[in-house]
Amino acid sequence: MLRLVAGRIVSSIGTLLFVGLALFALTRSGPGSPARIVLGADATAEQIAQFEQANGLDQPFLSQYAAWLGDVLRGDFGRSFVTGRDVAAEIANALPVTLAIVLFAFLIALIFGIGIGVLSALKPGGVFDRVSRFAAVLGLSIPAFWLGIVLIRFLAVDLRLLPPGGYFPLSAGLSLHLQSILMPSLSLAVYYIAVLARMTQASLQETLRGDYVRTARAMGLSSRQVVFYALVNALPPVVNLAALSFGYMFGWALIIEQVFNIPGLSRALLNAISQRDFLLLQGIVFLFTAIFVFANLGADLINRVLDPRQRAAA
Amino acid sequence: MLTVPTNRRAFLAAAAGGALGGLLPASLLHAQPNNGKTLTIVLPSNPITIDPINQLNHDAMVLGQTVFENLVEYDVDGVLKPQLAKALPTVSADQKTYTFELRDDVTFHNGKKMTAEDVKYSFDYLLDPANKALRRPIFGKIAKVSVLDPLKVQVELSEPYGQWVYFLTKYMGIFPAGSRKEHGDDYFKQKPAGVGTGFGVFEEWKPNDYISFRKNPNYWRKGLPAWDRLVVKMIPEDATRVAYLLTGQVDIISAPPPREFNRLKTMPGITGASRPTLGGSLLMFTNNLKAPFDDVNFRKALACATDRKTIAEKVYYGLLDPTGGLAPPRGWWFNPEADKEVAFDLDRAKQFLAKSKYPNGAEIDISIQAEPYLLDTKDAAIFLQAQLAKIGIKLNLKVYEFSVLIQQIARGEHQMAMQVYMSPGEPTYTIANTVMPGQFLSKSTGYDNAELNALMSAAFAESEQAKLKDIYGKMQMILARDAPIGVLGFVHASNLWRQGVQDFKVNQALTMSVGEVKL
Repeated sequence: MLRLVAGRIVSSIGTLLFVGLALFALTRSGPGSPARIVLGADATAEQIAQFEQANGLDQPFLSQYAAWLGDVLRGDFGRSFVTGRDVAAEIANALPVTLAIVLFAFLIALIFGIGIGVLSALKPGGVFDRVSRFAAVLGLSIPAFWLGIVLIRFLAVDLRLLPPGGYFPLSAGLSLHLQSILMPSLSLAVYYIAVLARMTQASLQETLRGDYVRTARAMGLSSRQVVFYALVNALPPVVNLAALSFGYMFGWALIIEQVFNIPGLSRALLNAISQRDFLLLQGIVFLFTAIFVFANLGADLINRVLDPRQRAAA
Repeated sequence: MLTVPTNRRAFLAAAAGGALGGLLPASLLHAQPNNGKTLTIVLPSNPITIDPINQLNHDAMVLGQTVFENLVEYDVDGVLKPQLAKALPTVSADQKTYTFELRDDVTFHNGKKMTAEDVKYSFDYLLDPANKALRRPIFGKIAKVSVLDPLKVQVELSEPYGQWVYFLTKYMGIFPAGSRKEHGDDYFKQKPAGVGTGFGVFEEWKPNDYISFRKNPNYWRKGLPAWDRLVVKMIPEDATRVAYLLTGQVDIISAPPPREFNRLKTMPGITGASRPTLGGSLLMFTNNLKAPFDDVNFRKALACATDRKTIAEKVYYGLLDPTGGLAPPRGWWFNPEADKEVAFDLDRAKQFLAKSKYPNGAEIDISIQAEPYLLDTKDAAIFLQAQLAKIGIKLNLKVYEFSVLIQQIARGEHQMAMQVYMSPGEPTYTIANTVMPGQFLSKSTGYDNAELNALMSAAFAESEQAKLKDIYGKMQMILARDAPIGVLGFVHASNLWRQGVQDFKVNQALTMSVGEVKL
């Protein structure tokens, strides 16, 4: 088991390094140079060459990557060519904002997704099941950014219940913090509520049809106990999906943060893209990749705890 | 009468509603962020710098103009006025020596009195190539800046070039002698506290969120500013920017979406206005060195097949003054004859095309910008695609982000590109930069015409408006005759603001003017 876990961790790091290399190549393959942004459209070729030399952009590709990776492993993400700010500090500044929204959205998605899935699996074809199926189709179809704009329109502009955007950290007070993350998190969560509800419903129904469930019922276990044990057995695919969803949420947060004017990682990322800010761009995408890779690793490990057969296989 | 829910479901619903209500402080339900005197304005893009000598975006110039001032300024009506100088400069007979008398009541934010030494230092710093100031090239004809006495400065030009005074209003500021060396460039870029003379003192920059300034209590214009704090927020999303205004979270927004502007400005509690700019043109950079734009008849065909009026009305909802000439229709130097020469006329367009090297039309790549800057050009490009198809010109839309697009245009790598081009609202700036050799956007057209260049030199040496109008008129006719660059029109500056905001006027020079605003 330990060897397998170690193997998964090593392969995750390998994936991360490979993605880092690909990312490095992609950021440098575009036609624009950050020099053009920093020095302006009328910069001479000589000025641009000078800038690239001063910032190591004229070095061979692999030595640039090695130098960058070495610095990243030491926790140094470099200093932005464009703004001059420390990339690690900029990420550290924006990460808690994105994390707050994604974690809250993930919590909402888990609670409602699994809750709705369980309730609809208990009475297949019942009113709740049919309504939840219809709602799931809606949830899957509505683009998150559009939902965000609709929420702003009704909850902020028409009803004046919530602020239209912006972000208040927890230090500003729990109430303000929750108000600022409620709409963005909800916009982000709706799709994943639908996905998780459908997966939970399907997996639990499948499990409830199993022979051992019938045996358990025949032996007189209470309905609640039967459903609990069935749910534990039905959870592994849901956990995998939840882990994927958690990773994807960071991607969708890009758009949601833009809609709600939230100064999180995605705002920093979009600015980095438009300003050809290589170091900031690499730092943020590398972080997103790491979150995605390690969320999947976490899901694998949780499934091994939930499912004895996976432990035995190890 | 208060009713109490009697069943479990109703009770739970009421409890949930109550809990949500409890979360919300009354201040947010009826948001009034302006108590105190904080003026909050919104920009659509995230600025790179506050430093005016390196600022790229015109809407972000409000940041530099809050902290830094110059010898002269444009007021919101586009009139040149003295700022740190007592009056407009006296100019020698040969149009090469400018003398400024400085105000004696101006202090920097660090408490130091502003003198002629500071002015000389600021110019010398800008002009030194080693400092790589983005805006240095437009001041290239300044040969020498001398201190005549502590409140008098003399600027000598290498040749007559009256236009440089107009460019001062936007592209540089006066800062204390020695301050660049003392603080370094990053300080001016990110936190220029203590180094300006403007109505706002830099306070904080929260990246991707806002930049704030506090009132300069020692500002030389007594009684200004009326606010205690200025917050400049960055909100790129159109709908969100508008929602912030409608919910009272901000006071003034720039770049409201044109299709909603007319509806929004009549909403209760909201005021809005727009006015034409004298320097914001929507241009089609046609590369004359590449086919099919190497043929003058083809360029004229394109110009005459472009229905600018429809684009102005249907795409920009009146926020564009359509014209084919390279001068704003409301500028005193506008030549209507030049505009007529390239006016929309499909029959003429077909005749020009038939006379060209490409009588059967052509397929052209047009480069446009992904994110809007001042106006969203994608919609206009789509309209143009349909219009040009009528004479057999096929337009392929290629979308690039700003940094790539500007690089293409500056290097002449494009075939045709569309972008809003901002200038200080001075007759020669756009012409000089786009269709004359040796300028930073010369390769955007690759055009070089000795007659036009001679007229420009004559304009530089002339100061009488009547004579200048004649020279500028002739320049516009040459450009209309040769059509080296496509013009769709001149953009309007537009703003929306809350009714509590007083004395705010839309700035004809586009950048928001907030020094005199009251709350």
